This record gives sequence, C-alpha cells and structure tokens, in this order.
Amino acid sequence: MTETMTKPEEKVLIKGNYAIANAAILAGCECYFGYPITPQSEIGEFMSGKMQELNRAYVSAESELAAINMVMGACSTGAKAMTSSSSCAIALMQEALSYAASQEIPLVLISVMRGGPGLGNIYPSQGDYNQATIGGGNGDYKLTVLAPGNVQECVDLTYKAFYLAHKYRNPTILLADGLLGQMMEPVTFKDYPYPEIDNSGWALTGAKGRERRLLRSYAPLADVQCDFVRSLFDKYKKIEENEVMYEEYLTDDADLIVVSFGSLSRNVKSAVNVCREKGLKIGAFRPITLSPFPSKELSRLSNSAKKFLVTEINMGQMVKDVRLAVNGKVPVEFLGKPVGSMIDVEDIVTEIERQLEV
Amino acid sequence: MATQVFKVPDSIRKDMRYGFCPGCDHGVAVRLVAECLDELNLKEKAITATSIGCSVCLYDYLEVDAVEAPHGRALAQATGIKRARPDKFVFTYQGDGDFASIGWGESSHAALRGENVTAICINNTTYGMTGGQLGPTTLLGQVTTTSPTGRNLEYYGYPIKITEHIAMYDGTAFAARVSLDTVPNINNAKKTIKKAFEYQMEGLGFSFVEILSTCPTNWRMTPQEAHERVRTQMMEIYKPGVYKDIKTLK
Ligand SMILES: Cc1ncc(C[n+]2csc(CCOP(=O)(O)OP(=O)(O)O)c2C)c(N)n1
Ligand code: SF4
Repeated sequence: MTETMTKPEEKVLIKGNYAIANAAILAGCECYFGYPITPQSEIGEFMSGKMQELNRAYVSAESELAAINMVMGACSTGAKAMTSSSSCAIALMQEALSYAASQEIPLVLISVMRGGPGLGNIYPSQGDYNQATIGGGNGDYKLTVLAPGNVQECVDLTYKAFYLAHKYRNPTILLADGLLGQMMEPVTFKDYPYPEIDNSGWALTGAKGRERRLLRSYAPLADVQCDFVRSLFDKYKKIEENEVMYEEYLTDDADLIVVSFGSLSRNVKSAVNVCREKGLKIGAFRPITLSPFPSKELSRLSNSAKKFLVTEINMGQMVKDVRLAVNGKVPVEFLGKPVGSMIDVEDIVTEIERQLEV
Repeated sequence: MATQVFKVPDSIRKDMRYGFCPGCDHGVAVRLVAECLDELNLKEKAITATSIGCSVCLYDYLEVDAVEAPHGRALAQATGIKRARPDKFVFTYQGDGDFASIGWGESSHAALRGENVTAICINNTTYGMTGGQLGPTTLLGQVTTTSPTGRNLEYYGYPIKITEHIAMYDGTAFAARVSLDTVPNINNAKKTIKKAFEYQMEGLGFSFVEILSTCPTNWRMTPQEAHERVRTQMMEIYKPGVYKDIKTLK
C-alpha cells in the first residue's frame, strides 16, 4: 500500500522512510540520486519506482560521492533534487556540501542516522548532530538542518526542507534517525504548502539571450573571496532571524528544563509529565532547526530556569550548543549514551531527580 | 570586398585572455571546443560541469553556463544536469588526473550507464596545475616531481589507457583519441570533437574524446620539444584513433 501512495485522502499508517520519500514526491522533487545504506534504504527503493512512474529523474548512483554531485548538477539547473543516506556514507558527501554551500546550490539531503563511529551499526543514534550542524567540509559555511521528532514531522519538514533550500539557496539537511525512519505512525499528507521559488535569476539553463552564468566557489583573489564569504554569512543571519523553529513544553515555571532533539524528545515529554505528577517543576525544550540553533530562546529561558539537562543518543554533541547559548548563567548537565535505543523515560526521570538534589 | 577568414569563436568570452602557459595545448583544445559549439549552434543550450586542474579555466574562456564540480566529480554533476534537463547540451572538459584518477569511478560509471553527455579529457601525462606530479597517465620512465628517477613498475604500477577502457563499455557510443601535434592532427581533433557532440545531439549515449596534450612548463620543454615528445613517446603508447563508434559497429 504505502509503496504506491502519493496523496492519500485519509490518515495513513506509514513508516518514516516512506513518509519522507512520499513527501518529497509531493514537494515536487524532480530528481532523486542515491546509494543504499541502512536504515534509510526504503527511501531509495520507494523513489526508484515512483520517480519512473511519474517520469521524473532517478539514478542508482555508484557511490555517495557520485550521488551528492548528481544532486548538485540537477539543482544547478534550478531543479528540486535530493539524495538520502546515513552516517558513514554522509561522511563521503562533505566535500560536495562545502562546494554546494559556497555555490549556493539548493540541494536537499535526507540524513537518517545510524550508530558510529566508522561502520558502527544500524541501531538508532543521534551521533551525527555534529556531522550535520558543523560538518566536515572545508571553510566557513553553514547548512540548514531540520530535525523531526515524529513521522508527521518527517513529512512536514521534508516539505519545508525543499522550500528553505530554494528560498535561501542553501543546502538543507533533514536529520532523522533510524528510529524515525523505521517507525510507523499515522500521518496526513497535505498539499505542499509553500510558494514555488523563482530560480530563473540564477539557474543554469544555457546562455540564451543573456550572459553565461557560473556557479563557482573558486575566487583567485583574496578580497573577492572575503566579500563573497561575508555575503554568505549575511544570508545565514537572515535564515537565523526568520527560520528558527523549536518546541517548548511547560517551560514557563520550570526550575529545570530538559533539552533534546528528534525522536528522543518523545521520551523527554513523558518524563516531564511523570515529574509534573510528582509535583516537580520540569519543562522541555526541543530545537527543531538544529542549524540555525535556537540560541536566543535558550538564553531567554536561562533567565528563569535554574538548570538545564541536555539528553541525546550520543556522547554529548548538542550540549555544546546549549552551553554556548546559556553562556554560563546556569549549569548545563548531560545525560546520554552513544547508540542502541532510546534513553528510557525512567532513566530520564531518575536523572532529573538526581540533578534537582545536587 | 574583404571576407573574414579568421575570427574569435562566439563561444569564447570576449573580455578574457588565456591564462594557460605559453605553448600549452589547452589553448588549442579550448578553441576547438568553442568552434564546435559555434558550428553546431550549441552555445545557448550548453551547460558544462568543470574539472579541477588547469582545465578549470575553461569557464573563464567559454561563454557557456557552468557549474564548478569538485575534483573528479564532473561527470556525476553532468549526469545530474542531463537527467534534470535532457534538452540541454551537456559536456565536460577534464584533465586526465581529474577524469581517470580521482574521478575514475564517476567517469567510468557515466560511460557505463550510457549517459547522453560528452566528455573531453586532456591527457598531458601529469598533474599540471599542482606542479607536474605523477598521474595515472604518466608514462613508464617519465620523470615527474613525484617520480624523481622516472616511473617504475615497482613503486607506481602501469599507466592507464583511458580511451581503450571507455570504449569497452556498452554505454559508450563513441570513443576516440586525438592529438594536437600537427595541423592535420588538429583538424582531425576538431572533426572528432564535433562528431562526439553530434552523437550526444542524436541521443546515442556517452561520447568521449581523449586529447593528447602538452604541458611544456612541467615537462621543462619548449613547445616544439613538447610536440616532439607527444609524437615520439605518447603516441607510441596512447595510439590515436577511433576505438568505438556505435554507428559502424556490427
Ligand atoms: C580533492 C582534491 N584533491 C586535490 C586537489 C588539488 N589539485 C588541483 S588540480 C590537481 C591536478 C589536476 O591534474 P589534471 O586533472 O591532470 O589536470 P591538468 O592540471 O594537468 O590540466 C590537483 C591534484 C583538489 N583541488 N581537490
Ligand atoms: S601547467 Fe601545463 S597544463 Fe597547465 S597551463 Fe601550464 S603548460 Fe598547460
């Protein structure tokens, strides 16, 4: 059933990976290029059939190096294009992501995290927060990174990823994890809710009736490169001013705020509810845009909360951004584990209670 | 009445001067590409994904839309362009290091898939831009900055015969090797490039031209000596000719 859907009228029960793929189709993705890796292979499998059926472009690329560069080629013509992959394979794409940021190519990359480092394993992990938000490409650049917390958000943020990528001409990553990719939840597919962005001012279409266009990152003169990178950072500032997304839960009177992203936030919310029943003033904060990071909002909350507890399925990656945002005003503690599964609600509650005592 | 017998091709940018070293065959090759684009009326529908190396300068000289691919990835980007916009004319102009070393995976798979694009590869038996190091096509015995006593098998293995490989693939419609050492050979090179372009226009699959080319700077030779080397050493190993032509294949 799910394999053939485009826009079901009703709510459907669907796996995260299929939801993302179907949302990409509905967002008007014209080209998909990919290479298999668990836990996201269903995206490429779904796209292989659907794109051909719709007469859109699909290539089984020979590697992730090739896949991301194919996406760049397609996007350089103004097309909506994407690839999807995971962890060690996204490591192979870092060079291209730096080029694409510099050349302002609006590609979309779906990253469904697995365990690491190295080949790691296929269990859920959030170990690629740094890979997505900082990246391994060279030079000064920033990508836009969106992190869904449930399967419906996988759909909504896939739409948004295409929109933001083209609106700002900036490579955009949807950062999910193996749990979201493999989990089934009820989802509604609405129509793509964003305006189509006019690419006609920059896209490569052939130099007809105009000068030729060049999407380059190479600037032999130092001052030209300086001005160019500054203009990129003006753009990043605009993205930060306009596009930061986050979710707050019972933070108004909270003594301690638990910060988490992605699938783990579900358990955090449950833990907050358990604590509230016990009469503890606990709240939760979930960044939805990991880049730009909701630093201002966390800074604001650090005026009222006495402590933050950051929890992640990794050894402490986002916690650094929270500490930067809070800037020493109150303590920021960490609860994490590298890979394998969720951090249990009871474990989060226990840690909250321990943090309230110390 | 005066007739114009020689002009700068329309596909060459008017405000630019070649930055190639004096006597380098890149200049001749770029001009041939421009003349073919002109004669086939392709300038306005052409898009190129560039290579990293001395060939990257192509986008400074051609009045053609271009995206700058990372080193070796030109044919992956060309694939993306062509798949997104099949009505465009898509070509790459790559160094041999770009095409056959760091980009060998992307290059051969584009050919294998039969991508309907054209690749031109400049074989100058060295990494020119970085100062003349040993590359995949460096000849046995050739001295470079990273083969100070010459390419030997023990340390470096064999050089690659690019066109012979590309010709092997089912997706390749046309594969040929040409040289620029004499006027007749330059004329033949132009005809060959044009043919490769026409095969793409006819939708026949991957078309490929390897151009034996000089790097007088890194070879430490005069342009004349460099062409002599192309003739006496390179053409002995890298024999010019058409290695695959889908139209004459039975
Ligand atoms: C990933 C990467 N590795 C290395 C380089 C450095 N580099 C730039 S050009 C070049 C060699 C190009 O040689 P070739 O493709 O033979 O072209 P030529 O300069 O001879 O025309 C190298 C190694 C780079 N830019 N990117
Ligand atoms: S370094 Fe060699 S290949 Fe590059 S422009 Fe100079 S002569 Fe030509």
